[in-house]
Order: sequence, then structure tokens, then C-alpha cells
Amino acid sequence: MDVKRRTFMKALGLTAASTILPGCDAEVRHLVPYLLPDDEIVPGIADWYASTCGECQAGCGIIVRVMEGRAKKIEGNPDHPLNQGKLCAQGQSALQRLYNPDRLQGPALRTAAGPEGTFTATSWDDGVSRLAEKLRGADGRVIMISRPLSGTLAELLSTFVRSVGGTLFFYDPDSELSLRAAMRRGLGVPGIPQYDVAQATYLLSFGAPMLEQWLSPVAFGIAFGQMRQGRPTRRGRFVQIEPRLSLTGANADRWVPVRPGTEGLLALGVGRLLLTAGKADLSPKERAAFERFYGSIPLQEVATGTDIPLDQIKDMAQAFADAEHPLAIGGGTACAHTNAFAAHLAINGLNALAGNINREGGVRWYPDAPFREQADVEWLSERRIRELAQATAADNQRPLLLLYDCNPLFTLPSTIPIRRLFTNASFIASFSSCLDESTAMADLILPDHSRLETWGDHVQDGSSPRRGASLIQPVVTPLYNTRALGETILDLTRRLHPDAELPRTFAELLRKRWDGLAASEQSPPPTPPSRWVQHLQKGGWWPSSSTAVQKLRMALFPPAYEPAQFDGEASDFPLHFYPYPSPTLGQGRGANLPWLQELPDTLTSAIWGSWVEINPATARSYNIRQGDIVRVHSRHGSIDAPALHYPGIRPDVIAMPIGQGHTDYGRYASHRGANPLSILAPLFDAESGALALGATRIRLEPLAVPGNLVLLEHPGTKAGTDLLSIEKPRRVEG
Amino acid sequence: MSADQEKTPEARPHRWQMVIDLDRCTGCEACVVACHAENNIRISGAQEAAEGRAINWIRIERYWEGEYPDVKAKFMPVLCQQCADAPCEPVCPVYASYHTPEGLNAQVYNRCIGVRYCGNNCPYTARQFNWFDPHWDPPLQEQLNPDVTVRQNGIMEKCTFCVQRIRQGKEQAEREGRPVRDGDITPACVQSCPTTALVFGDGNDPASQVAQMSKSRRGFHLLESLGTHPAITYLKRLDE
Repeated sequence: MDVKRRTFMKALGLTAASTILPGCDAEVRHLVPYLLPDDEIVPGIADWYASTCGECQAGCGIIVRVMEGRAKKIEGNPDHPLNQGKLCAQGQSALQRLYNPDRLQGPALRTAAGPEGTFTATSWDDGVSRLAEKLRGADGRVIMISRPLSGTLAELLSTFVRSVGGTLFFYDPDSELSLRAAMRRGLGVPGIPQYDVAQATYLLSFGAPMLEQWLSPVAFGIAFGQMRQGRPTRRGRFVQIEPRLSLTGANADRWVPVRPGTEGLLALGVGRLLLTAGKADLSPKERAAFERFYGSIPLQEVATGTDIPLDQIKDMAQAFADAEHPLAIGGGTACAHTNAFAAHLAINGLNALAGNINREGGVRWYPDAPFREQADVEWLSERRIRELAQATAADNQRPLLLLYDCNPLFTLPSTIPIRRLFTNASFIASFSSCLDESTAMADLILPDHSRLETWGDHVQDGSSPRRGASLIQPVVTPLYNTRALGETILDLTRRLHPDAELPRTFAELLRKRWDGLAASEQSPPPTPPSRWVQHLQKGGWWPSSSTAVQKLRMALFPPAYEPAQFDGEASDFPLHFYPYPSPTLGQGRGANLPWLQELPDTLTSAIWGSWVEINPATARSYNIRQGDIVRVHSRHGSIDAPALHYPGIRPDVIAMPIGQGHTDYGRYASHRGANPLSILAPLFDAESGALALGATRIRLEPLAVPGNLVLLEHPGTKAGTDLLSIEKPRRVEG
Repeated sequence: MSADQEKTPEARPHRWQMVIDLDRCTGCEACVVACHAENNIRISGAQEAAEGRAINWIRIERYWEGEYPDVKAKFMPVLCQQCADAPCEPVCPVYASYHTPEGLNAQVYNRCIGVRYCGNNCPYTARQFNWFDPHWDPPLQEQLNPDVTVRQNGIMEKCTFCVQRIRQGKEQAEREGRPVRDGDITPACVQSCPTTALVFGDGNDPASQVAQMSKSRRGFHLLESLGTHPAITYLKRLDE
């Protein structure tokens, strides 16, 4: 199949290079008889176009099946080094972003007298000239918040925002800023390096949701399969440390239910034991620093603090020390506390202690990029957003706000006054292609194309051994009167700076940049097809083998450990609250796609809604039945959702998936479930300012009325009648 | 059997089989979306799903073992087992469920009269009934795969091992005048699986990956004692 698809792509190379799309001119040769079963239907001929997925920051290569000018299916690009033909549920569902019935179909102005979120259609010329007018009058008080971008669009956007005297920020609730900060200061790298899970023999994960939506989930999935069964004689062991058993944790050999906020403390304990057994190649000076860092807390204190027996900690340390390729990773909600930075240092320091930095099966960074490093754009932490909002309110500034493809009004707790930033803005323009809570507050919407209708590129970060760049190309003609963000920006630039020398289209800009890349390659460009066409056919450019590794050394910073802070007194709010990004809906971005809404959460089989996960013992003590509504109170508000008895959670922790509870995100997402982010306290990681997702304490109030909990598995089925256990007695006898 | 088989360069018919390695499966559900996209599976919505009317040709079953803190969750993708001796086939009064020459349990939608005997008889709950007409909010219908029939109200449906992709693979091989190679044909679920937990191929080709893997000592079949002889072999998840 793969071979054939590649042949298709090659054969169709020239078509792929243009935006001309196949029409419906094929001659009808056969009428399908009425009683023909599906296995005898003659399949149609499809065209496959290579492009790049935009659902998360990983940037997997995709190929899109197009028939009669319509995109039909998205699969992974088999040639792409990152995802090797595989693709996750979210990436495949991106097709429903193209055909989403709630897409914005053209430029629109906020209706003058109407309430928030009502819009009147306008023309592109009118819309762009209005925004240009506003930008001229903004006097440099321009703030643009975008989802993180890379490649040509990122460069264009940052140049443009600078040219109007404003500031461009990237914001993504999944960006793991505390981990990035630890990597920047500890290892001196500007991103998160490669964790070579595939070659690891003992993986100690402190809550890293690597098999859900974390960093590069497909690449981690491939690596996990390799680690388990890809080597003939060796199966890598895997331990997951987190207060709630996640989907990733369910795949571990052992789950360690650590007390919330003490992940770093546990890493200190393991590190202290490793120092005596360690294989690290440390200079005496480094060794002294490591001993100061890891020796700061006595082991018994670690055991009491983390609620993990000392013997178990010793076992973990022993296994880590004995393993040929041990690997420690940390992330996710388990590491989202006020001490996250220190925790990440302690966790990643274990890799240094085991001597597996720069090594196979360890932590590596690949510095060679095909394009120069992208413009220096600040990634917004939640604390920084609060500062921005407070600053604009205090100075009575009225900034002009530009928004692109991010929804801070949904992904931030109400305790961060982001709404004030919006209401204080003199004018808000959004380039998002769907109405959401944030775009609903805009004065002007200039909607972007869908990913499958647009040009662009994506530069991989230093975690990719074959670090390259992939191309995004339009695979269908645009459905609506939308316009690619790059084109809108060029149009705006032309109006604001009439003398500027600009490419005619964004595609031209993109091509120029890529021609530069082709020129830098050693072999002379072949004719025909040109390099550009080859890149388009293949989906981008990447080196044929792994590039050089940058030698890293770990540095540690005090303080080694500080206890996590929690919001709310334990007497009034006895339980920890643990909102985690839904494996299907992420932080809510996927909620407007019906395929993802109907995709059962693997561990609970719940669909189309929210739920509150409670340990069965805790539920018994509160007398909460499965499916009954519980009210979750924090100091900052309350939300209602049906209870779900969940065996894989500490009795003192209540968990809830993020993703639902939208008020304005299309027909599939709006007014469905509750948003746990809305009741969180404004507590942040001290170093990076990232929101401490797990730092809010709550209390439960059972309402004893049935809620709308939809599970795909049949709860009425008696124990022991499932596909596996029904045969168990027979097996024992036999 | 005859016409189709004469055309294939090899003399022996194919026997399509799958191996599911539970030690690799992470429950990520990429396969579930891949199946929905490939096979025009309807979107049911919360209400119909709550009534047990949602349709999934492939599902991830989750099994809890033990109690806190020694609790484990294990996953198992379940789809039609394409049994060699399928309980669903002989009960159909109108021959809508039948056995293809290549060993698939097929469903002729246009014959189906919706008596649901086959669904009752399937021990794996692999067959699902359409209680409603499918509906796609425009323009979502544009995503429909033209190679797969859209099933209407009153019809039983099930996993086909992506028979349209099998057919496409065979036609491609025929055009190129060569036999179908191992790995040429992958159903949508197998194609998408990040961890390569799912492997598909011709069980009659002793060199194929699927034939090799199904001999693994970790192998077992679902509800083996029923004698359905499934075409899917599961490989046990290993414990510490």
C-alpha cells in the first residue's frame, strides 16, 4: 500500500505543484449493479497530496486523499521521519476542521448595536482597510497572541507585528513551559530535547503523558512500540509516577501513586540513591553540586512526603542504576505545580546521574536546522498573561489586540483577568477560522483558510534526529470566502507600508525561502521536476540520516526542592483537584469535531461530556453513586458534572478531563459538560510562570441527582461476563 | 471464487488475517478514528449513544484488574474476528451475511432485512444495527468515502477488514502484473496504528509477517472455546 501511495505521489508530482485540482471529468464506465456487495465494488482512483498536520506543535507529515476535488481522508506520510506513516486520532480528525459546519465563511464585523458574538458579513477589502486604519491609529500599542507557529508564517508575522510597533506572543496551554525552562537553564537548549524512548530499557516517567497529547505523541507511540517489542530479546520496563493513572500510566508495568506536588521530591530520593551507585561521568566539582542538590532531603523524609514506601524508592533507584539505558522523563499535570521547575531539574538530573545524556536511549539534542532559527518570539506563560492584563488595566492603555488560532478565554481560569485584557482593548481582530469564546469578543474577523486549503511550512525542533522542515500545501480549493493569514498580512503590510518590497503572494514568499534551501544543498538541482516539486511530492525536506548531536552537560540550580503550594485550607477543601487534558479533546481545541466528541475516552469509555473521577472508596464515604451529579467547589467557584468511579486514582485526589464546557464553539462543543479550568487558583510555577494545574484544593458536594454520563461500555454487564474473563474458569481447568 | 481467483497470479486464494499485539497497544484510539473516516461510520450523538445505538466497527475494551493501589488497566482492540466458522452466517434468512472466498464475513447491505439474528449470534458484539438513518451536517458529507456504501436505517453493519482497500491493493498488483506483496494491503486501522500493534496480511503466505507472528507463544484467540476459528490472533501483554 505504502509503495503504491508513493508511486501515486510521484506520478502526480506536477499536479501537486499547482493548485489545479482534479475535476469531475472522468468518464463513467460501469454502472454498479444493485446487489453488488462492498467487496466487489471497483474502487475509485484517488490523488494523494503530501502536507503537514497542524493539530499540535509536533508537525507530523500527512498525505491527504483527494477524489473529485474533495479531501476524503488524512493519513500519515510514510516518508516523514517523525511519524513514519502513522497518525493520531486528532490528526486524522483534522478533516472535520475543513468540513466543519460551524466554520467562519468570510470576513465579518461585529454588529454595531448587537450583543457580543453577533456579526455582519463584510468584504475583504473593507475588513482589511478597517484593520489597517486601526493599526495606523494604534500608535504601537498592538498585542498579537497566536498559537505557536514556525517557518515562513512565523517570520512574516513577527516582522509584520514589529513593523507596526507591536509585540507578538505565542500562547499554547500545552507548551510545558516549566520543562522548557528547566531544559534552557539545566542543559542550555532552546527546546525540549529528544527522549530516546525507543532504545530505553528502563523508563521512569514522572507523569509525562507521552502516549496522549504531549510534545510529539505519534513519535512517542512509535518509540513505545519499539521499546516494548521492537528488539528481539529485550523488552523495556516502564514505571509511571502520578497521582492519577493516566492512559500513558495504564501502559506502564507499574503505577506509583505519588502524593500530588511531590514528584520532584521523589526524584531527589532516587537521585540520592543513584549518587552512591551512579555511573555518571562527573567532575569532582560537578559531583559536589549534585551531592548538594540531591542530598538536601533525608530519605525517610522523602518516603513520608511522597507517600511511597522507602523500599519501593530503593527498588526504583536500583533498577535505574542497573539498567543499560535508563531514562527519566517528567511532564503533564503531575509536574504542574508551583515547584515544577525544581521538579523538572531533579527529574532530568537523574539522566545526568545515570550518564545517559548525549547517548542512545537517553537525552539528545540535534542543533542543525535547515532554516535559521525562527524569530525570537516570547511564549506567554499564564503569569505573564496576568501581568499583561493587569498592566493594561493599570495604565489605562487601550491596546489593539490581534488573535490567531488560540482561545485564552477558554483555556485560562477566571482568576486570571484575561477578560479584562479583552474588554480594555480598543479594537480586537481575530484571524481564527472558527468562532470560539475569544473570537466571539472580536470587533472584526478575518478568517484564515483551513490547514488543507493553505500554503506554509513547519520547521522541526531539535528533538528530531533527522531534523528538517515539512511543507503545507493546499489540497482542495477553498470552500469559502476565507483568506490565508499570510495573504492577509501581506495585504495589510502593503496598505501600511506602500513602499515596502513584497512578494506578490505568500506562496511566492514560501517558495523563495525553499529555493534558498535547495541552493544550499550540495548536489545540483535536477531538471525536471525541480527541487521545489520534489519537496512538494515528498512533503518537505529532511536529511537522510541522523544529524550531529550537540554535547550537553547538566547544570543544577538551587533550590533543590521546595514544597508545592496549594490554594485552599485542607480543613475546608480536603481534596486535591487534578484537571488533565483529555486524551481525545486536548485542552478543548478538539471539542468542535464530532469524531473526537464521539471517540470514547479509553479508560472510562465516556463520550460527549464531562465527568468527575473519584476513587470508589472516596465515593463510598461521600455516598456518591456513579452518574450522580457532584458539585466541585474551590475557593474560586464551582462546577457540576456527573461522578465516575475510577479505580486508578488516589483517594485524596479528584480528577476531571479538560476540553468540555465551551459556551461558544460551534454546535458540537457548546453547552456540553463543564470546564474544570474555570475554578483554578492563580498559582504558578515560580520560575517559568506556567499555571500550576494541580495546585487547587477542592471540596465535593454530592447533589444526588442523576447526570448525563454517557458511557460506551454497558455498565449493567455483570462482572466476569466480558470477552476475557468468561473463559477464565475453563482455562484453569484445561 | 473462480473468476476473481483466476485473475490473481498465484494459484492459492488469500486468507486475510490480523495479529494484534496487546503488548504494543496503548489504547490511543487512532484506529477508531481511522475506521470512522475510512468506512463512513455515522456520528450518533450523545442521545443515541446513551441508548446504546452508537456504532463502532472497532472499539478499545478496557479491563480493570485489582484494586487501588495495585490496580491495572489493560486494553484490547475488538473488531469483527472474521471467523472461519462464523456464528453470524448460517442464521441469516436472506443470505446477507455470507463467507467470501477469501475468508471474510461479509454483509450484503442490499439484501439485509434487519432481523438482527446475526447480531444476536455474534459472541464478540462485532455487528451493529442502524436504528436511524445516518446524518451529516453539511458540508460534513463531503468527507464520505465514495468506495464504501453509506448504510441506512434497518441495516446491520460490521467491520469488513476494509475490503475496498484489499480490492484496491489487488487491482494495483494486477495492473503491475505481480502478486500482492506482504504489506501492500493495510486496513485503515492497521495503517494508522502508531505503535504497530496491528499487523495485517495473507495467512496463506507462510512468509508474511502475519503468518509468522500468529505462531507466537503469546498468541491466543478471543473466546477460543466456541470454535469460531477467528482470523485475528491476539498476542498477550507481558507483565513485569
